[in-house]
Amino acid sequence: MIPIITKAAHSKMQNPFIQLIKYVYLSLKILKIVLGGHGGTRK
Amino acid sequence: MSIILILGAGIAGHTAAAHLRRKLSKKHEVLVVSPNRNYQWVPSNIWVGIGRMKSEEVYFPLAPLYKRKGIGYKQGKVVSFHPEGDNTSSKAFVKIEYVFGEDAGIQENISYDFLINATGPKLAFELTEGLNPGTNKAYSVCTYEHANHASIALHQLITEIKNSEKKAKILIGTGHAKATCQGAAFEYILNVEKELVRLGVRNKVELTWISNEFELGDFGMDGMLLTYGKTTIKSSEMVEMVFADRGIKWIIGAGVSKIENGIAYYENLAGEYKSETFDFAMLIPSFSGHGFKAFDKNEIDITDKLFKGFMIVDADYSTKPYEEWTVQDWPETYQNPSYSNIFAPGIAFAPPHAISKPRKSKNGTDIFPSPPRTGMPSGITARLVAENIIDSIKKGNISIEHKGSMGNMGAACIASAGYGMTKGSGISITTFPIVPDYKKYPESQGRDLNKTFGDIGLAGHWLKLTLHYAFIYKAKMKPFWWLIPE
Repeated sequence: MIPIITKAAHSKMQNPFIQLIKYVYLSLKILKIVLGGHGGTRK
Repeated sequence: MSIILILGAGIAGHTAAAHLRRKLSKKHEVLVVSPNRNYQWVPSNIWVGIGRMKSEEVYFPLAPLYKRKGIGYKQGKVVSFHPEGDNTSSKAFVKIEYVFGEDAGIQENISYDFLINATGPKLAFELTEGLNPGTNKAYSVCTYEHANHASIALHQLITEIKNSEKKAKILIGTGHAKATCQGAAFEYILNVEKELVRLGVRNKVELTWISNEFELGDFGMDGMLLTYGKTTIKSSEMVEMVFADRGIKWIIGAGVSKIENGIAYYENLAGEYKSETFDFAMLIPSFSGHGFKAFDKNEIDITDKLFKGFMIVDADYSTKPYEEWTVQDWPETYQNPSYSNIFAPGIAFAPPHAISKPRKSKNGTDIFPSPPRTGMPSGITARLVAENIIDSIKKGNISIEHKGSMGNMGAACIASAGYGMTKGSGISITTFPIVPDYKKYPESQGRDLNKTFGDIGLAGHWLKLTLHYAFIYKAKMKPFWWLIPE
């Protein structure tokens, strides 16, 4: 069964105040992954 | 003094040139050869393709920037590789041909101490009969020029249906059985849908996704489990949810083989030969190597020492079944095993195999996505190659301490789902690692769920727009550009 995006979820997705908080949160989360670095996989 | 020759000025080539120039003294020469006169920020082409961003906003000319920064630049294309020199000199060189200006058509041998092949992919439209951007009602957004044409055609169609009772069909996805870059097509279909709504014609358009993916949300990365809010869902469920919400139909497991005027012919995994009509299509072509040739000092063809379609690097190319694939197969240093001073970051290296599970139709046709290599891994691999070359020059011998396998590297894919500061939307997906490590993360389909998550909303559009301005700033090498991570 395909999950649906409810009306309430739609409202949250377009609410500028909630999204501003999300913007900061996502930016930090992405930065953490980017700055988390990379490396090899073989010893 | 060393000469570092960089072939290509896309994300990988330009990133490598910028870091090399910044960290090496001026006595070392950094030289870029590219047939393109402009740098383009490819991820924003989807906005050009819907007419919400001008193409001038996604590119800038390379020559003035390189002149200012002390980076050599020749607008030319590669003719052949000569990693051992020739019978007159043992110095390695690449034969190039100028493609612009008074020197157009003139060939030159350019010697190097280190070579970075960042030539990216060839957009192999010719591998799908009839697929040629701007013909047969099919378009592309792979370059800003293609995207411009797509935008014009899309808006012509919108005007046509707005002023009539006509209904239209739009088809967006992959135009070859082994195409990659599903992410770009995914962004484009969502942006087109949003534009149709904005312009009041959504109810007159049947919008269909066509792709070689076995499941929606595969993205050439074998799909993923991701954290979504407080739950864990499959990427296929996330994309299904978005498509259902937007009223987008989908055809998957489809290998498009031929395009005629407004008709896409495809074969599906069940072995059925079908077709889909359209009034406008945007189909991503197959990517291939450029077909470069290489010769040794005696002019004997040694292409197979350098190329396997794309450039051979430190990957494990032995043939093995999907069940035996490991992250260790993927390269770490992007160094050619035959010539230690040649590297191929970004999209120029030959991947050891796909990431998605290979599938054949009942007729034996391979229908599955090729592995994607987006901007972030292209930039990261280019930087680590540049750092290894810098170390090698400083130490006086080849050093490859900097490593970055796609099996131990994350990626952020901020997919635009509609343009607009208040009405826009984006789907933010991060994944770690890019190539799933099923041994390290056996319970979560090869990915770290703390670093693999998805989110939908207006913030995603703002993020994508922020990245657009940040990476253009970085590419223009403005003050402190190097603080912006790849």
